Amino acid sequence: MELSAGTGGNGSRKTASERDEVAVLESLQFTDEIRCLMSAPGADNASSFTALLELPATQAVQLIHSPDSAKLIAAPTPAPNVDDFKGSFQFPFNSGLTERAARFSVFAGDGNINSNNKSNSPEPTSYNSSASLQKPVKSEPAETESSQPLVSDPTVENLSIKRKGREKVKGSAKKSKTAAKESSDDAEQLPYVHVRARRGQATDSHSLAERARREKINARMKLLQELVPGCSKISGTALVLDEIINHVQSLQRQVEFLSMRLAAVNPRIDFNLDSIFTAESGSLLDGNFSGMVMPVICPEVQLNGNRQQFPQQLHSDAFQQPVWGREEVCNNYITPENSLLSFVAASLHSNQLKMEL
Amino acid sequence: MNKYNPDRMNPSSLRSRFTTRFLRNLSKIHAQKPSSSSSPAEIFRRYRRIKVAADKSMAYSVRSRRTWSRAMLWKLRTRPCSTSIRKTRHEKQNKNRTTTATTGEDRVGFGVEADELRELVPGGEAMDLCNLLHETAHYIKCLTTQVQVMKKIADFYSP
Repeated sequence: MELSAGTGGNGSRKTASERDEVAVLESLQFTDEIRCLMSAPGADNASSFTALLELPATQAVQLIHSPDSAKLIAAPTPAPNVDDFKGSFQFPFNSGLTERAARFSVFAGDGNINSNNKSNSPEPTSYNSSASLQKPVKSEPAETESSQPLVSDPTVENLSIKRKGREKVKGSAKKSKTAAKESSDDAEQLPYVHVRARRGQATDSHSLAERARREKINARMKLLQELVPGCSKISGTALVLDEIINHVQSLQRQVEFLSMRLAAVNPRIDFNLDSIFTAESGSLLDGNFSGMVMPVICPEVQLNGNRQQFPQQLHSDAFQQPVWGREEVCNNYITPENSLLSFVAASLHSNQLKMEL
Repeated sequence: MNKYNPDRMNPSSLRSRFTTRFLRNLSKIHAQKPSSSSSPAEIFRRYRRIKVAADKSMAYSVRSRRTWSRAMLWKLRTRPCSTSIRKTRHEKQNKNRTTTATTGEDRVGFGVEADELRELVPGGEAMDLCNLLHETAHYIKCLTTQVQVMKKIADFYSP
């Protein structure tokens, strides 16, 4: 076959870099064929690849070897033909074809295709983004050797693979700035790619910073959700924030209620820290934070109870005040004993204190 | 067997620090109080003092490690004595902070709620959303300790 002969002829030199060039050349070949198809007036369907093959091999080879091929490809004249054959061909993006063709013309235009392989070899390697393209491109020659009517479909797939590969490259290029620069170099020549590259490059530092900030805020929101009871079920930041605000307000109100309670309570007992600690410990063991949920619901109930207790406590205060004064003096002597005793029998002692008073 | 008192295990924890300070202040207040505590006005005044003592002891337990505690301490200090110098100095600082901290980007998804939160948390006006959330978390933690301790004291003293 003419194509295989062409590939064989080119594939005789089998170094890695030259293989890349071969692959590029073969892709060029295909674009040339497509160009011929489009320019040919009689071509109707994608199945007219057979018509392509009927093209004398000479013409195909000429298209490769002639430097005029670059002009042919780069010429914008196929554009109207592209539109005509848009529906008939199965290529979803014909504009993508034009770019790719023009892109490969870069390789072609820089030097002779066959002779100067060394000059071409640094080019594919320098373009890192194209490296990934060459892998799907290599699959093309493998498939050309298979049945020819199927050539149309694999090329469609390959082109779509190429497109995806390029998109992946663009995605990864966002992370590496050097690759982004290279894509911007390509972008100078191709308007379609230019838009994508610019988007990825311009928002690089900004998007990273914003993303970091957003992640920080989300992490802190998660911490807050864990702190506030009943918040983990809620989804949506606005509702979570509302819950947090309610929780903070309720806590502040609780502090006010408790301080009012403490103001009303007559401190007829010593403010012995040890005894209070020991009394605390007993209630602490009952479950610290489960108790916090209940007070959230019941503070209003407690408040009502407190308000009712006030007049009663006032009466009781009047009786106990003279006793209170004496106890203050006594407490100074008792405190060291209390601290010792609390070590031995903690809860018992606190109960005894309560009983005495 | 666990020790009865978890506060003895960690004497420098927030809870124990707050408890000791608060009890000390409470005893001071009750020592100051006159013999007759029958009038509701007296009780109200005492309530005020106790509330202030609670906030103060909490803020002192946290020292200046958090923005909200610093703001609260400043508020407590300048409340009784209205020195114009201190106020103007701090107002200037606050203004500078507010202009730099709140940019347009911060307000994107959290407009109304963030403002409410700023009002609730002391010193919240001059903070961006990220720090505000951080301060809120610590503030909630401290408030819960405060409520727990005060509740236990109140339960201990009431029959």
